[in-house]
Amino acid sequence: MTAGRIFYFAFVIAALVFLVAPLAVIVWASFFADKTLSFPPSGYTLDWYARAWDMEEFARGFVMSTQVAVCATLTSLALGVPASLAIERFRFPGRETLRHVLLAPMYVPAIVAGAAVYLYYIQVEIATTLQLTATFPGLLAAHTLVALPWTMRLVTASLAANGSLAEEAARSLGANAFQTFFYVTLPVIRPGLIAAALFSFIASFTELEMSLFLVGPGKTTLPIAIVNYLEWNLDSTIAAVATVQIFIIGTALLVSDRFVNLGKAF
Amino acid sequence: MLEGKTRLRAGALVFPALLLVAVFLLAPIGLILRFSLDVYDPSTLMKGVFSAENYVKLLKDPFYTGVLLFTAQVAALSTAVCLLLGYPVAYFISRSPSEKLRSILIILTVLPLLMGNAVRSAAWMVVMGSNGMINGLLLALGVINEPIKILYTPTAVVIGLVSVLMPFAIITLQSVLDSIPVSLEEAGRSLGYSPLRTLWAVVMPLSIPGIVAAGAICFCLAMNAYATPVLIGGPSVHMMGPLVFQQIAKVGNWPFGSALAWVLMMVTLVMTVISATYLNRKYF
Repeated sequence: MTAGRIFYFAFVIAALVFLVAPLAVIVWASFFADKTLSFPPSGYTLDWYARAWDMEEFARGFVMSTQVAVCATLTSLALGVPASLAIERFRFPGRETLRHVLLAPMYVPAIVAGAAVYLYYIQVEIATTLQLTATFPGLLAAHTLVALPWTMRLVTASLAANGSLAEEAARSLGANAFQTFFYVTLPVIRPGLIAAALFSFIASFTELEMSLFLVGPGKTTLPIAIVNYLEWNLDSTIAAVATVQIFIIGTALLVSDRFVNLGKAF
Repeated sequence: MLEGKTRLRAGALVFPALLLVAVFLLAPIGLILRFSLDVYDPSTLMKGVFSAENYVKLLKDPFYTGVLLFTAQVAALSTAVCLLLGYPVAYFISRSPSEKLRSILIILTVLPLLMGNAVRSAAWMVVMGSNGMINGLLLALGVINEPIKILYTPTAVVIGLVSVLMPFAIITLQSVLDSIPVSLEEAGRSLGYSPLRTLWAVVMPLSIPGIVAAGAICFCLAMNAYATPVLIGGPSVHMMGPLVFQQIAKVGNWPFGSALAWVLMMVTLVMTVISATYLNRKYF
């Protein structure tokens, strides 16, 4: 091995360490026994996890984030799967434009989208007296928007990869559109569907910028509870909360890796 | 008849999703475009006029022009660092010998990305804080006698942003590098080029679309960043994303906040068009 190659490998490893190491450090710090954060620790404890759960904003934020993410995932699948089917299986003018419009929530900056939706909700409230800001349905609509592009991307990719031959065969044998979808299409795209659900869940669970505008006092999501706490404190409690989120997202990723090749999902 | 039926069916399938995006994204963005052309009034919030006042204020008021310029500088610097650090990693992933290794490397790259901005910023705060890991390490080694200030500086913001953006740069560059046949590099080598010269003279020029696209994505995400400037930059670092939030949610100056949001929106649109144009310019 030449010196150049050694330098090249070391560079690549250093860059990857730079990306991953902070996460490892915060997981490590969640077990420190010291009252104030200090490196290296004098000992280890699990107390911070109990303390984090006892703090109402984190427990509530966790429950809220889970509820919103589950509902947003289901809504996003209910809207995104039919739309993916239309885009991949039908030929009609404006198909590509439609695809871009449905992926748009991924490209519009979250802080801009959050500001826009917030002011829009207030206008709707003035016009109809229907409250949307600081409500669950209002937050859910925004989170569905965040989840939709992930659903669309993974489901359209799965439909495209599998082709429509089997569906055409089923139709020619007399199956109707619904039978074809439930007995032929659905089983084939199941892995893509599961990955879509998991990624939609992750996108919603970690959403921060849009939610900032849309949550109300006492009704925040976990990422917002983390940001609010970090404005004044930096200790092992927040490390424990972050570790819980890392664990949840990591599990979702591991599960989706069983269904789709993550290396090709991006 | 048959074609009409197909269109109707496709329309029915796509309609609910389209409605969601139209009602909850496109309409709101249109609304704030209108708001951005209105004028703030402390008693009635908005005067209901058409004026370019907010955009002029952004370009004339030294404080806001400073925020815009500072944000653009931080974004440009972070983007440059991302491309420099990300390119070798992307090349390594693209040319990795086994499919398994490739998968592992891509997962390692996107893992921090998927953890979310709140957790990633928290992690960097634990690393860079005054009682954080770097200071702890340097104190223990006797390199320094008292904690040095890393967190709450512009440098810390750039470090934080680079870690947020680099996965995007790596993934974009890697997909373009994948499309460059290895045979071209072999041709370069057989002409007696060194590996480095092959990279510079053969691979680099062909990957320019990827570099432009990755640069555009990184710049755009850095301009719009919120969590990193707020948490890692602290109160003394002023950037566009937090300013939008502050003007709309805290100050209540909707017209000016909307104008700031639309400036970010325009930057994003321009960058998206640039990256899409270059990515479509496929050489193979």
